[in-house]
Amino acid sequence: MTIPFTSADWNALVPIAIVAVAALLVLVVDLFVRGYAPRYVSIGIGLIGGIAAGVVVAGQFGHNYNAFFGGFMTGGFTSVFEEIVLLALLGSLILYGAIGTPDRVAGTTALMLWSTCGAMLMAGAANLMTIFLGLELLSLSLYCLCGMVDRKTAREAALKYLILSSTATGFMLYGMALLFGATGSVMLADFVNPALASSALFWMGGGMFLIGLAFKLSLVPFHTWAPDVYEGAPLPVTAFMSVATKAATLAVFARFLYAALPSGAAEKLLLPMWIVAGISMIVGNAGMLAQHDLKRLLAYSGIAQAGYILTAMAGGSALGLRYAMFYLTAYTFMNLGAFAVAAVISNDGEQGSRLTSYEGLAHRRPLLATAMTIFLLALAGLPPTAGFLGKILILSSSVSAGYDWMAALLIAGTAISLYAYGKTIFAMYARPRHEPHDPKPCAPLAWASVVICAVAVIAMTFYPLTPSNILPLVK
Amino acid sequence: MPVAIGNYIALSSVMFFIGVAGVLLRRNPLVMLMSIELMFNAANLLFMAFARAWLANAGQVFAFLVITVAAAEAAIGLAIVVTTFRSEKNVDVDEIRLLRG
Amino acid sequence: MNPYGPVAIYLCVAFAAALLFSVLPGLLQRQKPNPQKLEAYECGVEPTSAVAGRFPVRFYLVAMLFVIFDVEAASFYPWAVQMHALRVFGLLEMIVFIIVLAIGYAYVWKKGGFVWR
Repeated sequence: MTIPFTSADWNALVPIAIVAVAALLVLVVDLFVRGYAPRYVSIGIGLIGGIAAGVVVAGQFGHNYNAFFGGFMTGGFTSVFEEIVLLALLGSLILYGAIGTPDRVAGTTALMLWSTCGAMLMAGAANLMTIFLGLELLSLSLYCLCGMVDRKTAREAALKYLILSSTATGFMLYGMALLFGATGSVMLADFVNPALASSALFWMGGGMFLIGLAFKLSLVPFHTWAPDVYEGAPLPVTAFMSVATKAATLAVFARFLYAALPSGAAEKLLLPMWIVAGISMIVGNAGMLAQHDLKRLLAYSGIAQAGYILTAMAGGSALGLRYAMFYLTAYTFMNLGAFAVAAVISNDGEQGSRLTSYEGLAHRRPLLATAMTIFLLALAGLPPTAGFLGKILILSSSVSAGYDWMAALLIAGTAISLYAYGKTIFAMYARPRHEPHDPKPCAPLAWASVVICAVAVIAMTFYPLTPSNILPLVK
Repeated sequence: MPVAIGNYIALSSVMFFIGVAGVLLRRNPLVMLMSIELMFNAANLLFMAFARAWLANAGQVFAFLVITVAAAEAAIGLAIVVTTFRSEKNVDVDEIRLLRG
Repeated sequence: MNPYGPVAIYLCVAFAAALLFSVLPGLLQRQKPNPQKLEAYECGVEPTSAVAGRFPVRFYLVAMLFVIFDVEAASFYPWAVQMHALRVFGLLEMIVFIIVLAIGYAYVWKKGGFVWR
């Protein structure tokens, strides 16, 4: 028997391999050091691995290849999502370096790298097995990461996330089994067969698969875990989770929507998904109003943002996918930026997650307050930022696809959210009632990530980077 | 005598819903983890049955993959439950309510 | 009719009857509990702790490590069956797998996962 894989197949996996080997290296270094390896060594290896993988991924941008008989695809679509996940990794590693606890650094760094591997695998997965493997690698590492600090709320978050998320995975896996039963194949490409539209197994399987995805995206009936887990998990982990899980799940959803549905079935199968996305935009934004914790605020905001991105894809137009990817990229920068500001304020510990520590910030640290204002404006979708452009693009694509009601819900949700974001912004510029002690200057890298994110959020307005012809790259 | 595919689907759906009911109704995290394993294994049974029906090896490979991943999941679940045991003494998900959604 | 058919019917009837007799009294009875009635009967002893004893935490840790390495070992079987067909490729794959596993094993060892205290 000859091995049917060529070097092109292995090359497709090189970025993932780099990240995985970096994680192993972190552990090996920790093994040979007495006690624990210094913080900068572990995180340094992680950062170098992430950057190297990013360079390789960028090189794969134009090279469409269907590796391992359709198990893993490379090309523009995969590259964009992989870069987003790697950005989340780099950002959260920097934040972890700035505010993380000194023990367990190696373990935490390795787990972050492995969950990045899982998310990258999901970005390129075109086969139910690869999707499942990537999803589990991502989630299992995240369960551990949530409980990596000695705090009661963190342990509770880990337990909650474990039970709820595993149940969702169970639904998704059963859906996959039914999909396999309908087609006799695990390839997404084989689901395009129009004869499937009359198969009960296919409808049930597709439905359960989508329930699993909706849970991972924290869409509304399945959203209750998000605020609790975001609040309990350590800040860098929350930053990573909020971006990487969304990006990876959206990649799988987009591939399922654009490359795997029999013609005629898409409209009917996905309608519940669009309704759920519409409700998420209202409930997520309304949920923000009562929050006193930045992580909870951003969790509810994330529920709504997932709804926005799905709105762009509603109708399944090629333009919609481009706009969804643009918005997701912008969301990555604004979300990471907001968490970076929280990290700079926290210094040591997690004060930065309480919204009260932002009162009068503009008088103590005007630059930081300006950056935070930019991120919150972008999350709200107001003019000088990429969030505004992204929302306009989403509105245009959903209206032209005939989903006017989703556009209307998006506008209503945005109106509700303005109050919550506005309240936080006004609190920063109001006179402080009490003078909190000024924290020590924070790690320069955390500062740098704040600046990079702020510049990116503004710059993306002028250079709307979207790969012009993305649709052939999905299939 | 070969068993009809419908019987496998029926058995696995019963297993799956026992698992779902276990997660929803039981309050002990360990039992909930076991229920989740039951859900995974219901899917496994279905994969094996369909692999036989379609004569497609992919289903068997998938089931093998799921077994491995489920073991990792069980181990991580146990680890998280143990850390909660250590600090809490009482392990009942109703008692765990520091974070309210 | 299948010769076992009557047996199945008899089984169903028996099960239904047993269920009926055990559920019906509970539904029909009048309930007037008082403290004396609720006590353990005559020679019974009030339970002082939970029925299921508590396992030491170490037990779970060992169980956890066992589950992982046990199932990983199962991954050797498909390779062993196809070893001659896969030749060097299969061997290399397996070496990579074992290296990854060994690093994990060494890490658990170094951090004291196998110490029984």
